[in-house]
Amino acid sequence: MSIARTTALSAALGLALLAIPGTAQAQERQVKITGFGAMSGVVRSFGINSKAALEAAADRINRSGGVTLGDGAKGKIVIEFLDDRCNAEEGISVLRRIASSEALVAVGPTCSNVAEPLFGILQKKFGDAGDTGLQFPIFTDVAIKIGLAKISEWAFRNVPNETEMYATLFKWLKATKPNLKTIYGGVEENFAHSRATWYAVMKEVAAKEGFEIKGESKWLLEDTNFSNQAREAKKAEADIIAIAAHPFSTCGMLKEMARQGVKPKLLIGLTSSSSTETLQGCAGEAEAIIIPTSFAPINDQARAAADAVSKFKGSLDLHSGAAWENVFILKKIIEEQKVMAKPDTVKADREKIRAGLAKLTVTDGLIGKSKRTPDREAIKPYLFVHAKAGKWEVLHTPAVN
Amino acid sequence: MLFIDLLQSIADGLLFGATYSLIGIGFTLVFGVMHKINMAYAAASVAGAYAGLTLLKLAGLPPLLVIIMACLAGAVFGLLTYVLCFWLIPLSHPLATLMSTVGMLLLIDEIVVHLTAGMPVNYPTVMGGMVSLGSFLLRGDLMFIFTIAVLAMAALMYLIYRTRLGLATRAVSQQPVAAQLCGMRLGQVNALTFTISGALGGIAGSLIGSAVGLLSPLLIAPLTVKGLIVTVIGGLGSIPGAIIAGLLVGAAENVFQFVRGVTERDIYVMLLLFVFLVFRPGGILGADPGRN
Repeated sequence: MSIARTTALSAALGLALLAIPGTAQAQERQVKITGFGAMSGVVRSFGINSKAALEAAADRINRSGGVTLGDGAKGKIVIEFLDDRCNAEEGISVLRRIASSEALVAVGPTCSNVAEPLFGILQKKFGDAGDTGLQFPIFTDVAIKIGLAKISEWAFRNVPNETEMYATLFKWLKATKPNLKTIYGGVEENFAHSRATWYAVMKEVAAKEGFEIKGESKWLLEDTNFSNQAREAKKAEADIIAIAAHPFSTCGMLKEMARQGVKPKLLIGLTSSSSTETLQGCAGEAEAIIIPTSFAPINDQARAAADAVSKFKGSLDLHSGAAWENVFILKKIIEEQKVMAKPDTVKADREKIRAGLAKLTVTDGLIGKSKRTPDREAIKPYLFVHAKAGKWEVLHTPAVN
Repeated sequence: MLFIDLLQSIADGLLFGATYSLIGIGFTLVFGVMHKINMAYAAASVAGAYAGLTLLKLAGLPPLLVIIMACLAGAVFGLLTYVLCFWLIPLSHPLATLMSTVGMLLLIDEIVVHLTAGMPVNYPTVMGGMVSLGSFLLRGDLMFIFTIAVLAMAALMYLIYRTRLGLATRAVSQQPVAAQLCGMRLGQVNALTFTISGALGGIAGSLIGSAVGLLSPLLIAPLTVKGLIVTVIGGLGSIPGAIIAGLLVGAAENVFQFVRGVTERDIYVMLLLFVFLVFRPGGILGADPGRN
């Protein structure tokens, strides 16, 4: 065999070896994180922002070398995002699909009415052989209704603690605006989060701080006529009107209040309404409304994250901010727990991630450190923003965490 | 004081019911001519309002012209609905057009959601202000909508009973085969009916957007349901019936809410529909279909 022929054959063999599937992957494995939430329907913006935040965070990690796996190899984070349409049945079906894939952990869902039944199909107590519930870790970024993670030991959340946020808000109002004595509520009766926030959070903590509750008006998420409710609010003559509703009906109510000349001394809004949606819908009527939130671009890190997410066509807010944080928290856990990210270690890797999430006592966040509670919830740092000339501006930063 | 509140509630409901009337007119007009239900009507109306607002912004026109822009866009959507859901579909199949318009409703809804990310959009107020009589208030914009609904009814009645197009429409509605034998083009008349109802839908969408102060895909489902209720209560095919039923449903809804609360409101509205279906199945001004 001539030297030229031998060289050519060797080169061809070398090229063929390089082309064998798996060779490249052995050097660079994939860590699959699947996001899920509403990508269609009227809360689509939440899904868009979460997806963008997950992808932007994964991109940042991958660009800086990826994740170090249990055997020292480097892995890249791969994000997939599935649509649950903010529907409980679809959410459950999506989660089963994710669990049957090679995903190691899921981040989602958007809606509390999906999270509640979804957590219900997970194994309640880790290691309980008698419980055949799904054994898959979920690290929620958006669904915010209080107390949901306690449903299953596989459920973890990185959402703000509304009870603490509103308690601090009312305490601060009492100290800084002593002329405010009475409060009236407006509540979106058919949305789990809004309802829980008014009845179990705002109303309770305001009463504890000594505010007199003058009653509440109720409406539905898709309502268009708020004449009765605005009239009731006017009659109540409360110093504060607190609206526990999402942007569409918050704006509808605020516009009707403006028409009927309802002018409380102070407006308070729902955490989820501290978004661009509210300002896009009714910036004028929402002027000066105060909302507690767990995200605002107040430091270099938060501003850089907001820029990165905008490049993925999303907007960083208190919800998508949590999605961003979750990816970095998961990176740390994957490295500490020595996750392997191999096809034959999926089950063990999921258990390692669950164990890592359960061990957390404090996590890094965009605006500061978050504490973790024994029931797998977060106590995130927060601040109060108010609408000013069509923008959200930081009004006060309580000393927390 | 309770009486004044009740009266105010009735007045608010009646005025807001004008928006239901406008949607009901569109549903009933198509049914009157083709004996088919266009389930996509409210969705196309809201899409017309969105398109009108976009055109207004692109052209930099004053806010009041949003109605005209929405009217034009609505006419295009109406014609498109006809072509896609009726012209291309065998009309003889009893469920084909119903299902195609349901599909169109979902398609329009999802397109709007995808284009806007589901975010509410601030909509210009075409006529603001309140008329106050002591503590009794009447919304100027809703009175304007009410006037538009009455004018639309008058214009449609004129069109149907005083013009050649109206004559053709009635002929096609009553005896389609005979009308064709007389040289009338069935497809053309139907297309014109859809264009006119679409234009009216665009106006309705923009006025509703203006009354609510916002546009959102959230408007589509309730408007479709209310439009259908109004059409049935008013009498299928009856334009004056749709106006009366719209006002009735609006007032009833507000009074039920005032008396029983928001969580029970819709139960009573559905009960009202049931009462009509049982005791007056032809609706307020429709022909009695009789019973088996």
